[in-house]
Amino acid sequence: MIAVEDYFRYYVGGLSIMTLYSTAVFIGFDIYEEAEHGVFEYLLSLPVTRKQLVIGRSIGGGLRAFIYVGPLICVALYVIGTANPINFLLALFSLFLFAFGVSGMSITLAVAIKSSDRFDILMGVLDALIVRLSTAMYPLGFVREANPLYGWIANFNPVTYAAELFRWGAGIESNLSFENPLLPFLGIVMFFAFFTLLGIVLYDKTIEGGGWQ
Amino acid sequence: MRHIAHVLENDFRNFFRYKWWLVGLISMNLADLFIMAMVYNRMLSPEVTRQIKSYFDFFAPGLTVTGLFASAFMIGREVNMERRREVHQYMLSLPMTRFELAFGRVLSGGLRGMVYMSPLLATCFAFIGLPTLNQLFIILVVLFFLAMGISGLSIAIAVSTTSLDKFVTARGLVYYLLFFCSSVFYPFSLIEQLGLEGKFPMILVTFARINPLSNASDLIRSFLLGTPSFSPEMVVSVLVFSAVFTTFAAFAYIKLIERA
Repeated sequence: MIAVEDYFRYYVGGLSIMTLYSTAVFIGFDIYEEAEHGVFEYLLSLPVTRKQLVIGRSIGGGLRAFIYVGPLICVALYVIGTANPINFLLALFSLFLFAFGVSGMSITLAVAIKSSDRFDILMGVLDALIVRLSTAMYPLGFVREANPLYGWIANFNPVTYAAELFRWGAGIESNLSFENPLLPFLGIVMFFAFFTLLGIVLYDKTIEGGGWQ
Repeated sequence: MRHIAHVLENDFRNFFRYKWWLVGLISMNLADLFIMAMVYNRMLSPEVTRQIKSYFDFFAPGLTVTGLFASAFMIGREVNMERRREVHQYMLSLPMTRFELAFGRVLSGGLRGMVYMSPLLATCFAFIGLPTLNQLFIILVVLFFLAMGISGLSIAIAVSTTSLDKFVTARGLVYYLLFFCSSVFYPFSLIEQLGLEGKFPMILVTFARINPLSNASDLIRSFLLGTPSFSPEMVVSVLVFSAVFTTFAAFAYIKLIERA
């Protein structure tokens, strides 16, 4: 049906990233549940700084997503295979950062929005746009061809970076959007740093004195 | 009838309480059409392009059915929540017969699906073309019965599952089976071809053929695009699905909430 060389393997790589993204987002929903059940006060009373709390939650959310997606990544690797184990380990490391970044983004938005309904809607819309405007499902050339604006957005999308790095790590060389894997890696590091930092600042500002309610 | 109207009113109030959620859901569906389908349009192999011409046009009717499914299935989530929070005791105490209550729930689920699906169907007509009045009537009737069947299916699952997690898992399984084993995303001829080549189990090919989602999508395509050609089987498949699940859901709802 699709006139893209080796599309099955290409898609399997993207599928793992889409699932990783959707799972890492879940930490935001936990924040609302904790607030509803009064666990938030308990967390604030713990002998840890706010900074440690946000970083810990981001890493926890990312790790949890990784554990959940682990079996799928194994199946993906079985289907795709790995050409170079060192490349794959580097790709895996960047996927960890990606998952932490997505968790940080989810926490940041959850704390900023304060309404679980609005958060649910926003994450749904964001999920639809961020995944579809990336190279998770299709190569960048086709996205650009469909609409140059879509291509431009996909070029700066962290899901694109993660999908491209995963494929590079697994040795799917055809249809890669970036010749140098360092570029998507830097993109992921920036995404992770930005949302972790923003999460810390927002968390610090909004939670004192019941401001998160 | 008056009692059924009260059930409908209550369920529609609940439906519109989540209006922003619905806007979000519609925008997701539109993102599927205006981003994903447009990109896939460029990726089709020449062989498939000869068959379906444009993936955008092919997918728009499938997306209408996807939207109908998602919104008609929402009633199950509410029924499941009522059961968990024991609101069903209050529902049973209302001055109406069990049948009116059960039928009202299935009907409201179906009608809500139709309301949600309307903008998607209108988008489909706007971009692909308008059907004749008779064709429009058939499309609406078939989609209404499909929505009733889906609503019945979701209520049957909702009353048989004790927790939200189990309901969500069952919904996922039903969704993946019904959608990926249908012609919503890809032409049935391709599924059939894979079956003949031994790459896809024949039992799933048969399932895709009788799947009401395949038949409803193909019915809209047959009127708007001319392919596949219209066959009465498309209507019959949806009517049978609707009759089975509406009846089953009504009885399951009555029996299981009395027992709960």
